[in-house]
Amino acid sequence: MSAQAIHNLSLDGEINIYRAADLKLEVLAALRRAPVLEIDLAGVTELDTAGLQVLMLAKRTATDEQRELHLLNHSPAVVDIVEMLNLGAFFGDAVLIHS
Amino acid sequence: MNLDDALQTFITESRELLGDMENALLNIDLAGDQSEAINAIFRAAHTIKGSAGLFSLDHIVAFTHVVESLLDAVREGRVVLNDEMITLLLSCCDYLTGMTDGLAAGRYEADPDTAADGEMLLQQLRRHMGMDAAVTGDHAGALAVQPEPGVERMGGDAGDSDYWHISLRFGREVLQNGMDPIAFLRYLARLGRIAGMATVADALPPAADMDAELCYLGFEIAFDSSADREAILGVFEFVQDDCEIRLVAPRSKVSEYVELIRALPENPARLGEMLVLCGSVTAAELAAALAQQSQSEALATPDDTADVPPRLGSILVAAGQVAPVVVEAALNKQKQVVEQKAQENRSIRVDSDKLDKLIDLVGELIIAGARASVIGQRLHSTQLQEATSTLSGLVEEVRDAALELRMVKIGATFNRFQRVVHDVARELGKDIGLVVDGEDAELDKTVVEKIGDPLMHLVRNAMDHGIEPADVRVAAGKPARGMIKLNAFHESGSIVIQVSDDGGGLRKEKILAKAIERGLVDADRKLTDAEIYNLIFEAGFSTAEKITNLSGRGVGMDVVKRNITALRGSVDVGSSEGQGTTVTVRLPLTLAIIDGFLVQVADSVFVIPLDTIEECIEFAAEPGQDYSNLRGQVLPFIRLRSLFHVQGAPTRRESVVVLRFGKVRAGLVVDTLLGEFQTVIKPLSPIFSEVRCISGSTILGTGDVALILDVGALLQSVEGKGAALPALAA
Amino acid sequence: MPLTAINLASAPLPSQYLTFMLGEEQFAVGILHVKEIIEYAAMATVPMMPDCVRGVINLRGAVVPVLDLSARFGRGVARIGKRTSIIIAEVAEAGDEAEGAQRSGKQVLGMLVDAVNAVVEIEPADIEQAPSFGTRVRPDFIAGIGKYNGRFVILLALDRVLSTGEVVELSRRTARHEQEPWPADRCHDDRHCPDR
Repeated sequence: MSAQAIHNLSLDGEINIYRAADLKLEVLAALRRAPVLEIDLAGVTELDTAGLQVLMLAKRTATDEQRELHLLNHSPAVVDIVEMLNLGAFFGDAVLIHS
Repeated sequence: MNLDDALQTFITESRELLGDMENALLNIDLAGDQSEAINAIFRAAHTIKGSAGLFSLDHIVAFTHVVESLLDAVREGRVVLNDEMITLLLSCCDYLTGMTDGLAAGRYEADPDTAADGEMLLQQLRRHMGMDAAVTGDHAGALAVQPEPGVERMGGDAGDSDYWHISLRFGREVLQNGMDPIAFLRYLARLGRIAGMATVADALPPAADMDAELCYLGFEIAFDSSADREAILGVFEFVQDDCEIRLVAPRSKVSEYVELIRALPENPARLGEMLVLCGSVTAAELAAALAQQSQSEALATPDDTADVPPRLGSILVAAGQVAPVVVEAALNKQKQVVEQKAQENRSIRVDSDKLDKLIDLVGELIIAGARASVIGQRLHSTQLQEATSTLSGLVEEVRDAALELRMVKIGATFNRFQRVVHDVARELGKDIGLVVDGEDAELDKTVVEKIGDPLMHLVRNAMDHGIEPADVRVAAGKPARGMIKLNAFHESGSIVIQVSDDGGGLRKEKILAKAIERGLVDADRKLTDAEIYNLIFEAGFSTAEKITNLSGRGVGMDVVKRNITALRGSVDVGSSEGQGTTVTVRLPLTLAIIDGFLVQVADSVFVIPLDTIEECIEFAAEPGQDYSNLRGQVLPFIRLRSLFHVQGAPTRRESVVVLRFGKVRAGLVVDTLLGEFQTVIKPLSPIFSEVRCISGSTILGTGDVALILDVGALLQSVEGKGAALPALAA
Repeated sequence: MPLTAINLASAPLPSQYLTFMLGEEQFAVGILHVKEIIEYAAMATVPMMPDCVRGVINLRGAVVPVLDLSARFGRGVARIGKRTSIIIAEVAEAGDEAEGAQRSGKQVLGMLVDAVNAVVEIEPADIEQAPSFGTRVRPDFIAGIGKYNGRFVILLALDRVLSTGEVVELSRRTARHEQEPWPADRCHDDRHCPDR
């Protein structure tokens, strides 16, 4: 049994196509570290389709592998996209509403 | 669909909706439960806005949007409805009616002349909503998408489908080509409001196979916008090679969504889910459509049981994507819509020109049938006569059925007066209510159209001159609130419409004095009360002390009377001083076809409306007198020969047709009685407009023209003579 | 009622006129106004109308008033002869304020004439202004005097001749003048019926 049941990952800056390939590897690796992965998005300044796709892939993979993935501290950029694309239910996380 | 036809339909429906809005506003009980009325008003405004958007009628959309916002606020309890607001909303109704009329006249943009009024209304609307700043620019509503849980963003409109549905499937290479789908969606949002969105991630492969630089996403969007197809497609101009775009227009049938589902690669049930999720269709609609569809093709699906298409509602709830409450609400809403649709399907709209054409043809049919009968008689052929008799019977039934089509209830006309009474009462500073009875009484649509103006004048007159100011009423022991009553019923082949008020009544002495002053009547003439009251219908007569805005202009009761007479009707007034006045209008049920009775005088054949005839008797007058004794009652005579100055000698045995119109009876003396005849009324050329006793003409089976007698006018000419009739010997 | 209909509805040139006789004089009306020509047949009279309105006829299901042109021109009621005909004409009617007004626009009326002649061409160059006196016809009824085959033809201003408004005004006067019905004993003998 792993000492840490929850693994934390922070993502910062622009999460876009230029980082997408690397990000995918990074997130999937992190996912397999522990039964539960928490990704902190407070520092995300920009999210594009490619970046979003990686997050969605991670979520899908986690479900398939009976793991848990939680997104936390959604930055405004992330909230905006999750809302617009109606993905709140997909990710299943509580989204903090920024004023 | 032809744009003009569609626009016409929009105009007609908008007028109806505005009528509904007005009615609902007038009938709101501020003290009681307003929710139903508010909802009805909101729905009307909302529908107009949506439809106007279809035609890119931005000025209407923009205006209605603000109205709708206020109504929404009321609906949600954020704003409380009061009298002032109702009046404001009524003015908004009028303004919208003005814009609709402008549309009908070919004006597709805001009218600069009335724009200021519109702006003022908008300001007042905003004030009530508590918004001080003017709403900026984007009318079609780039409203900020509220940060609510995704499910509720669908809004209550799940069943209405007045949004575009946009289906996007981006190509794999779109990201590598430098395009960002999300950026396009943001751009789309500038053209309208994304009312619902479902992200389709079905194509996303397992992690091992997924290439992070390819795009696997698609979107199903419900889009609230007044933009047209081109504009929407224009948004995706730069990705059109890298994206499959499918559009379903607002108000499309569910079958079109089913077609969309078929065209898309994903599992139909999944797609259905998504369509429901983004609000383009409701669960029930789609379930029904899909169930029908999958009866003919087995859906081999990896995750669903193939034999029974899964109930969408349960799929959605099970997947945790839609709360059960929402599904139920959607289903309930759907039930309402279905019920309403069922009601609407029970009647169909018919172009009134088509109806008129039908009536004309039926008329020709009657004449042709009559001709056939005449020939049958001349040929003395029993077989032919039997055949034509059957034919005539059937034609009569067709005639009755056709005329039925033109009958409309007078209720709609009466209810228009609610608004009139409401507004005029305010203008006059009087408290006046309207009671309406007999709304189900039916009459010919042409009559209904023409009776509106005279009735309007009568009602305004009653309000202006009839109802006293509140203090006078109270002093007289009457309730402060005056009452106007509109009543309609059928009586002996006519329709009777009464306009009554509980005001001060007509003042006989005043009327008589004025009439004498105007030279309408001799000072020493003795008149009955009824005759005095009816003097108000004489031309140029008006006893109003001051001419108000509404009536007393001298374009008064005489015009009303003429209009009614032109419809072959009659008008009468009765009154009781201090208590009130009643004006009674009598009109024929139909202007197109009548059952008539033919009579002959010399070479001329005349038609008498059958329902005015009581009986026919032999001519026998008291010698040298113009009347006879009919079972103890005096029956005055009208000799057609003398009245119409027909030359030649009468037949030796003349006949008398006993006529009755309203309360007056008289005997019409003619040469010969020819029998019953159903006949089509051909209006007389305006060249004959001064001929009093003839109301129309018709064509007999022989091809000859016969004139139709205006019994009302005939009997009036007898009445007006004023000669006292001698008492009958005991 | 046999009809001899010459349908002149096909697009005519403006210089074509239908000529006809009233007594010894020849008149003409622009072809554009003429819908058809029918033989005379007895018609239904309408009471209380001036002499110039002869009656109404059944024209294929429509009830059309017929004006007596002779009476209209003040020459007394027309006498029916062998060649008496009815010209069915269409005139534009200015919208009038009569409350019972039917559609304003086109009015169809018949004109009773003694004989119908041919359709002729008269060039505008051959048309002169009507003299202000000397003709036996009201000046405002005359659109011009045309010359055809050496003869003079009076071109009628049909809108004035067939003016509904004027006829209605006439009928109003007739109605007022003849308000009282004749006494019952007056009509038993033709000799005692006065001329109108």
